[in-house]
Amino acid sequence: MAASQRRAGAVAQAYELARRSTVNTWRQPQAWVPGLFFPLMLTAVYAAQFAKAIRQPGFPPVDSYLDFVLPASVLQAVAFGATGGAAELAKDIENGFFDRLVSSPVSRVSILVGRIAGSAIFAGLQAGVIMAILMAFGVTIRGGVAGALVIIVTAVLLALGIGGLGLVLALRSGSQEIVQSTFPVLFVLLFVSGTFWPTRLMKGLYGDVARHNPITWIIEPLRELVITGWSWSAAGRALGITIALASLTTTFAFITLRSRLRRL
Amino acid sequence: MTNAPVEAHDLVRRFGDVQAVRGVDLTVAEGEVFGFLGPNGAGKSTIVRMLVTLLRPTSGTARVAGFDVVRESHLVRRAIGVALQDAAIDPLMTGNELVRLQAVLHGIPRHVALARGGELLERVGLTAAADRRVGTYSGGMRRRLDLALALVHEPKVLFLDEPTTGLDPTSRVSLWDEVRRLNTEFGTTVFLTTQYLEEADELAHRIAIIDGGRIVREGVPSVLKAAVGAPTLKVDVALSAVDAARVVLAAFGAERPARAGRIAIGLPEGAAQMPAVVRALDEAGVHVSHLELDSPSLDDVFADATGRRLEGADDATAVGAASTAAGTRPTKRGRRR
Repeated sequence: MAASQRRAGAVAQAYELARRSTVNTWRQPQAWVPGLFFPLMLTAVYAAQFAKAIRQPGFPPVDSYLDFVLPASVLQAVAFGATGGAAELAKDIENGFFDRLVSSPVSRVSILVGRIAGSAIFAGLQAGVIMAILMAFGVTIRGGVAGALVIIVTAVLLALGIGGLGLVLALRSGSQEIVQSTFPVLFVLLFVSGTFWPTRLMKGLYGDVARHNPITWIIEPLRELVITGWSWSAAGRALGITIALASLTTTFAFITLRSRLRRL
Repeated sequence: MTNAPVEAHDLVRRFGDVQAVRGVDLTVAEGEVFGFLGPNGAGKSTIVRMLVTLLRPTSGTARVAGFDVVRESHLVRRAIGVALQDAAIDPLMTGNELVRLQAVLHGIPRHVALARGGELLERVGLTAAADRRVGTYSGGMRRRLDLALALVHEPKVLFLDEPTTGLDPTSRVSLWDEVRRLNTEFGTTVFLTTQYLEEADELAHRIAIIDGGRIVREGVPSVLKAAVGAPTLKVDVALSAVDAARVVLAAFGAERPARAGRIAIGLPEGAAQMPAVVRALDEAGVHVSHLELDSPSLDDVFADATGRRLEGADDATAVGAASTAAGTRPTKRGRRR
C-alpha cells in the first residue's frame, strides 16, 4: 500500500474513532453534565460571595466578579472533564474493545489521535457553552473574538495536557479507577492557584504556592484578555504553556502506547 | 513451514514463572474448520491471542495467512477476522455504527462500509436491530454482531474464541449454522476454540485437544473417537457401594476416568454385555441409581489422553440420560459423538 493511501486510511480511522469518542461522551450525560453544572454553580456561589470583594484595593478593575472568574470557570470545566477520554480508554482496555482495535490493521497512532481529538472536540464545546452562558449574564471579553478564541483553544490544549496524562495512566494500568484517582490532584491544583482570587492579594505559603502553580500561569494571561483587552503577550503565554503541557503529555502517551504494544 | 492458513511450530508462551503454552505445533488446512478443544485455563485463548498478534510468543514461530505473526503482524491483521471471548462490543454504539467503524479500521472506504455493513447485518439477522444501541442486545445478538464485525473485510481466516460461551441453546445452534454457512459457501478457514464437546463435534472437520498448554490429541473427530475403542458404560452408585461395584465391573472391562460416585468402564462388546453386567451388579447387591452406555465421545478421547474428564462435560452432553435401578431393564443408548 502506498504511503499516501496509508495516510488517508489513518486519517479516516482517526476521524471515525474521534467520532465514536465524541458520540459516546454525548450519550453519557452523566459524564459531562456535572462538568458543566459544577463550575457554573461554583461561579454563581462565588459571584454572590465576592460581589463586594471586587472593590478591595489591589483587585483587578472589573465590573463584576464574573468578568474575573470567566477563564477560571472555563478551565475548571474542561479540567474536570479532561480525564473522561482516558477513563473511556481504560474501559476499552478492561472490556476488551482495545483488543478489537489492536487486532485490526488500524494505525496505532489513530487509536490515540481519535481519543485525543474526541476529548478536544468536547472540551471546545464545553468552553464555548460556559463562555456563552457567562456572557449572557453580562461578561464582556475585552480581547474580542480573538481573545475568546484564545480562551477556547487554551481550554482545549489544557484538556489535552491533562487528558494526555490520563491516557498514560490508562495505558499503563488499564484501570478506570486509577485514571479517575487523578481527580483529587486536579482539584487541589485548581484551588491552590489564582483561579478564584488574585494571587497578589494572597499572603503566606498559600500565596507562594498559588503564584508558582502552572494553573495560575495559564489563568492570569487569559484573565488579562477578558479584563484588559487583546494582548499578544498574554495570548502567547497562555497558549505557550498549554502547548508545552499538551505536547509533553501526549508525546508521553504515544510512547506509552508503543511500549504497551511491545510488551504484549 | 507450508502455505497453510495457520501453522505454528514449537510455540511457547510464559507469563513470569507460569508456562501457559508449552511447545505447540499445529497446522490448519485451507477451508477447514479447526476446533481447539480444552478446559478453562488449558491455553486455548493464549494460543489464539498469539496467532491474532495480540500476544508475542516467548519462543517458537507461527504463520497466519502466510505471514509471520511477529515480523509481519500488520499483514496478519489485514488477513484475519477475530471474534474474541466475551464479545467486546461498545454498548453505547448501534450495530450500524460498529460495523462501519470496523470497516474503516480495516481500510474500507466509508461509502463501501455502509453498504457492506447492511449486507452483513442482514446475513446475521440483525437488520431490524441495526439502529439500536448494542447495550440493548441479547447475548446471542451480540455474538452474531461480533461475527458480522469479524467478517466485515472478508477475511481469509476467521478466529472464533469460545463464540458460544454463555449463550442459550437456540442462540448457540443459530451461530453454528452461520459458521457452517461461512465455511461451506465462502470457503472461509475457521479456527475455533471451545470448551464444549458438542460444539467441536458439530462444527470441526479436525480438532486438537489441549490440556496444560500442550496438544494431547489431534485429528478428525470420528477417527479420534474410534481410536478410543469400546463404548463406555457409566454406572452411578452410592459412594458406599463404589468399591463393591468396581470389583464387579472390573470383570467386564478396563476402568475409565469418571466423577465421584460414578464408575466408568470400557465395554468391549457394548450393548450385548449389558444384561450380564446388570445381573452381576444385582447379584452383588449393588444398588444402581443410573446406568448408561455411550459410544466413544470426544470426552472419552479427552479422558483417554489426560486421565480426566472435561469440566462440566457430562452436564453438557448427557442429553436424554435415563435413570434406572438395578434389577430393572437398563436403558441402552448410543450417542453420535
